[in-house]
Parts: sequence; structure tokens; C-alpha cells
Amino acid sequence: MDTQWPRWEVFKQDAPGKPHQAVGSVHAADPEHALLTARNVFARRPQAVSMWVVRAEEVFSWTKEEIAQDPALRGESRPALGSRPTTYLVFRKTSHKRSMTFVDHVGEVEAYSPQGALREALARFSDAEGLVWWVVPAEKVYKSDPSQETVESWFDPAKEKTYKQQQYYATVSASRPKRRKEDEAFGEGCAHC
Amino acid sequence: MKPSVKDALIAKLTALGDDELILAHRNSEWVGHGPILEEDIALANIVQDELGHATLWYGLRKELDGSDPDQLAFFRDANEYRCCELVELPKGDWAFTMLRQYLFDLYEALWLEAAQHSAYKPLAEAAQKIIREERFHLQHTRAWVERLGLGTEESNRRLQQALNFQWGYAQQLFVPIPGEELLVAEGIVPELGPIRERWLELVTRHLQNADLKLPINPGYQPTSRAYHTEHLWSILAEMQSTARWEPEAKVW
Repeated sequence: MDTQWPRWEVFKQDAPGKPHQAVGSVHAADPEHALLTARNVFARRPQAVSMWVVRAEEVFSWTKEEIAQDPALRGESRPALGSRPTTYLVFRKTSHKRSMTFVDHVGEVEAYSPQGALREALARFSDAEGLVWWVVPAEKVYKSDPSQETVESWFDPAKEKTYKQQQYYATVSASRPKRRKEDEAFGEGCAHC
Repeated sequence: MKPSVKDALIAKLTALGDDELILAHRNSEWVGHGPILEEDIALANIVQDELGHATLWYGLRKELDGSDPDQLAFFRDANEYRCCELVELPKGDWAFTMLRQYLFDLYEALWLEAAQHSAYKPLAEAAQKIIREERFHLQHTRAWVERLGLGTEESNRRLQQALNFQWGYAQQLFVPIPGEELLVAEGIVPELGPIRERWLELVTRHLQNADLKLPINPGYQPTSRAYHTEHLWSILAEMQSTARWEPEAKVW
């Protein structure tokens, strides 16, 4: 029996006006638990003002190469009769630069399917080339409470906690002089161990 | 400040700091052993916060009598500690740890809410600072109590066992220390009676909603913070051994 909890993708916003960015994932039993856990794992040190979580299986993802190989993703969207569009959040990765984050939130689109949402996104968000695209049904995204009290309690304390930064623990080595060759091989006196 | 009030305040700050320090150290035993990596990190995070609170309380004491927080933590014997017995108890299973942290977090959040209005400004400022993250801790442990209580037959049974065992110990959080009435009279610390009433109301509602039964017989209820369980000796031996062996931590 698989006893693993579901996996949730986590999006963190560093400051008001900045996009929510995919920072990684957590395992959790339900949406509230996922948000609590995400806060502990991804906002205990760096700054944050808001977090979103979504079940990993609700994320529809395409790379640039996959889109290029699938002509259906570039055509017109044709809704089934009587169906109604839903809102999708769109995320995009535009750089190969080494980064702690993956895709950035770029906006919302209305569409009849995830594929339709991607087609819409490719047309709408054309200011930069997307290397990876994620679309997520808006109703599946759970957000941290935006109230002042929650921001103060979830995110503000981390700003003052310099002791949670690893550079706070940099130490001056006071190790004894090396005596034998073997000691050197083990890097005696590493200042950050 | 009158000498008698100052002495009482020093004793109260010591009790506050000792509760946080011992609970933090006890919970740190989960590091690397949590039920899932995310919760391991979460509990370590709570532990660091509680250690930070202990540092604040010991820091306020230092302003009054010049005592060094590191000396208090690492070179004091068990019989000089003034923590309550609840925080000394071995970590038990996950249900035991989460329940204790919940009962303590709620007490602490309510106490801090009232202490924000302390007539002693440094204490009011410390309370305003700590309460923000204490509210987050409480959300986390409250969520765990609910999920374990309403989870499976086994999780409910384990949580109920923890509750039966801890209920009497938890009552010690509301026993004033000798001289505390002087501090209450000066408006320096809140009276524990009304805080206990509110705590009892909130705890009862939450536990019952989580399908748990409050023990009819509260069991052993410690009163004086001058007495401790045997567990305090072993946890201090472990916690203090490095500092006592090499105070400057220069030899490795």
C-alpha cells in the first residue's frame, strides 16, 4: 500500500507586486496542511508575503520542445457545445540561469481545457519565450490568508532571524596543528562543518 | 522597582525561559526522526523559535541581575531549573509531542496576548514580538490535533492516551510562582486565573471537536516548580555535556 501523502507544488511571493514563483513541493494530507508545511519548509528563512499550493497532479506542464512537436497545441480552440470556460493560472519559465525557483506566475486565462489555456497563454504572454509552461485550474489553488495578522504571524518574523542563515554559523577554526598526513586527507579544520 | 518585585520578576522570567528551553530541547530530539521530512523541518523550525523565546526571557533577566543566559542554560543544575514538569516528559510518539505542543502553544499565545499590555515595557515589547510566531505554531499544532483525533482508530487512540497522561501536568502552567501576586498587583504580568478559563474553554471545544474525551480524573497535578521529574536530570546531562566539557567549544 502506498502510504505517501499527495505531493503539492508550492508557489512563494517574495514581496507585493512580485510574481508567485514555484519553489518546490511538499507532501501533505490536505490543503491547509500543505500550506502550513510549505510555510515551514520554504519561508522559514527568506522573505515571503504569500504562498499558494496546488496538488501536483492538477498541474499541466509543457516544455518548449513538446509544444513544437504537437501541432494541436498551436491551433484554434473549439469548445464543446454547452461547455463553459474556467479560469486557469499560467506560469512560465523564461531563463536557463541557475535559480532557486522554477516557473513564474504571469497571469490568468479563460479556457475550455488545459490545452486551450496553453494556446491562449502562448498568444497572450508573448513578451518573452517560454521554456516551460504550467497551467493550473484556478479553483484547485489554495492560497495563504492575505490578512495582516497572518502575514505578520507567518512571514514577518523570518526577516529578523539572522540566526537561521547559515552564514551566521561561520566559525573561526581553532583546530590543532596538523600532525600527520592522514589528517590532512580528511580536511581537518573545515570552518563550516 | 522594589527589591521584592524585582526578585519575583527575575524568578518569573526564569520560569518562562526554562519552559521554552526544555520544551525546545525535548522536541529537538525529533530532528532526523520526524514522521515525514516536511514535519521534521517544521518541528525543528518551531524548536528554533522557542529557543529564541528562551533567549528573550533570559535576556530580560540579564537586564535585571546581569546573569549570563548561556550560564543559565548550560551550567545550572536540575534543582535550580524552574520549568514545569509537562515540558520535561520524554517525547513519546508523534501524538504525544503534538498534543503537548498544542496545549503549551495555546497557553503561551493567551498569556502573551495579555502580557502585551504589561506595565514593564521590556516585557510588553518581548510579548508583542513573540506572539506573532506563536500564533503560527498554534495553527500548526491545532491542525495536527484535529487530524490525529479524526484520523484513524489508531491515531485517535494514541492521542487520547497522550491526553489522559498530560492533562494533569498541563494544569501546572496555571499555577503562580511564589511572589507572582506582587507582579500581578503591579500590572507586570497577567493574572493566570482568567487565562486558564479561556484556555480551558478553547481546549475543550477543540479536543471535543476532534473526537477526544477530557479525562474525568485529571491525575497527577504538579504544583511547585522547585520539583522536577527524573527526566529533567537526563535531558540536562545530554544538553549540557558539551558545554561543561569544553565551554568555549574550541576543541573538536
